[in-house]
Amino acid sequence: MADEPIKASAETPAATPAPSAPRSEGTHSGGAHRSEGHSGGGAPRREGGYGGGGGGQRREGGGPGGPGGGGPGGPRRGGKRQYFRKKKVCRFCVERVDFIDYKKVEMLQPFVQERGKILPRRMTGTCSRHQRWLGEAIKRARNIALLPFATEL
Amino acid sequence: MEERLYDLIFICRPATPEEDITKIVATLEHSAVEHGGKVEKTEKWGTRRLAYRVSKHREGFFVYMVLRSAQSDIIKELERRLKVSDAVIKYQTVRLDEDLKRQQKLVKHRERRASRRPRKPSATPAPQPQQQVPPPAEQPAVS
Repeated sequence: MADEPIKASAETPAATPAPSAPRSEGTHSGGAHRSEGHSGGGAPRREGGYGGGGGGQRREGGGPGGPGGGGPGGPRRGGKRQYFRKKKVCRFCVERVDFIDYKKVEMLQPFVQERGKILPRRMTGTCSRHQRWLGEAIKRARNIALLPFATEL
Repeated sequence: MEERLYDLIFICRPATPEEDITKIVATLEHSAVEHGGKVEKTEKWGTRRLAYRVSKHREGFFVYMVLRSAQSDIIKELERRLKVSDAVIKYQTVRLDEDLKRQQKLVKHRERRASRRPRKPSATPAPQPQQQVPPPAEQPAVS
């Protein structure tokens, strides 16, 4: 019973931006500034390699407002998003790998950053099961100096 | 007790003469057999670059061994020997039989599925064209 009012209240703020969008269209300068601010916040994240689906959907929601405020910003964002939406498939599943050998360094290297960090699943597209095995293999390889813990210079 | 499979890798100082390494390997194999184990494979990977410095060395001579034993004492003994010998700078033993068992299980599972699947598609595509062809012929007749 208590959940219902909360839900209703949660919906109303979400609904308010939509009516506000026409307002921003009316005041061109205000709308443009806002959209620029959004793009400035979003772009570095994407450059950092953030490929989350949730983020993409949110930006899509902001998309309809974008063309009204800043015309050039909208299409660019859309184009970028399409590239980032490329469906990632677990490489190990494709190759039917049942056991990730910690001795094959060449196999593990693509999943490790230059500094030695294990790449997250959202970057490589590895499935959860293989990421688990991969982490184990990388840690074993690190222990015996086949892979770095952190590269020191 | 069930037999277990182990991977043993140790790294020697790069300056160690080849004879000393063969000597270490021989003593390890000997003590492994003494403790009721079996050495399945011994590989000398040669001098390799280390990913990080180990006791001030940037390179090391890698030796890889595969052991099979029913007793875990063997690992204790081999690791003790490796610890004692001066030439060895790093070693690691990994128990692999559980991982391999899991792998075999997956392979078996896949084979079973693969043996099931081809039959179904091979059985279904054959009747499907026969079924699909008549309806278009019927539909125009009805209309």
